[in-house]
Amino acid sequence: MPRGMSIRAIVIQGLSILLLCAFIEFGAGFTLKGMEERFALIPGLAIMALPLLDLRGNINGALASRLGTALHTGVIAPKLKLTAELKVNIVASLILSFLASATIGALSWATGVVIGVTVNVVQLMAVAVIAGFISGLVLALLTVFVAVFTYLRGWDPDNITSPAMATVGDFLTVIFIYLAVLLVG
Amino acid sequence: MHIYSIRRIVAESYPILFVCVLIGLFAGVTLHRSLDRIEGTLVVMMVPLLNGIGGNLGSILGARLGSALHLGMVEPRLKGEKVLKGNVNASVLTSIGVFLFISAIFFAIAYMWGVGFIGAVKHALAFFLAGVLLTPVIVASTVAAAFISFKKGIDPDNVVIPIVTSIIDVSAAICLLIIAINIVGV
Repeated sequence: MPRGMSIRAIVIQGLSILLLCAFIEFGAGFTLKGMEERFALIPGLAIMALPLLDLRGNINGALASRLGTALHTGVIAPKLKLTAELKVNIVASLILSFLASATIGALSWATGVVIGVTVNVVQLMAVAVIAGFISGLVLALLTVFVAVFTYLRGWDPDNITSPAMATVGDFLTVIFIYLAVLLVG
Repeated sequence: MHIYSIRRIVAESYPILFVCVLIGLFAGVTLHRSLDRIEGTLVVMMVPLLNGIGGNLGSILGARLGSALHLGMVEPRLKGEKVLKGNVNASVLTSIGVFLFISAIFFAIAYMWGVGFIGAVKHALAFFLAGVLLTPVIVASTVAAAFISFKKGIDPDNVVIPIVTSIIDVSAAICLLIIAINIVGV
């Protein structure tokens, strides 16, 4: 918002990033379809995949949103240096990734039981936590980078960071779920 | 003295994420059944895109409102807030622009798919109108979530995006189903 942000600038920045994200999603949609077929290998994974993707977007979106505020208010300087405030933000995101991914694993197991799908709870939890935590770590660092980079370029990180990370996050999370399935299954 | 604390971020975020996961699981199971009727049509391709764009529009507005509330540029009330009005107008304009553009792409895809000219227009119109129908939901839920959380002393940056994306996940599919069934006739 600050630095004399005009409606014009918001619309131009917003439109650019949204169209870019939409194109990536078009492309990702086709590539990911192939991987999703592998998900059928672990029963219950299909239930879990969507909430896990949503969770990624939400945790990184919130991190992006806080970083936008912190950059605008000067609480965090636009440098790639691990200051105390930045560390608090990243560590909090990682703790949330761990807790919420484990929750998704457990709830997916419960959902599976309710709708009558036999599920290996240990396998499901392992995939949720491994994929959730590793993608959380990679994406948290990327989020910091994108927020600082956009701010330095004179764009408003609030306009760019969360859509960019939601899209990249979907992509990376599916890949990490895939890798976790190969590892666990 | 830190401005941010791990305990506060986790304590404010976890309950909302938990609710979002429940909504996501519930929506996943129930919406799947309704979406079965559009299986194999182009409309099914529109669902994730409408979800994604809608969520992103809400996230951008939410992040800007979060910053503006923290900076004191916006007060959490609806009357006489110029900065709020500017932000909402910008989001509505962006929304119309992006939905128009993607509709044009859907026109091209549908035409190549072989549904004929009229069919392609219907597909494009369905996506655009679903987006137009979704826009007030996006704006209203984002402003409400930002203002209510801020008034309650919760950091809007922690909660607005999860709340809004969950609301949009559910309402985008509903908007598209209503519009697509009535216009495209799938």
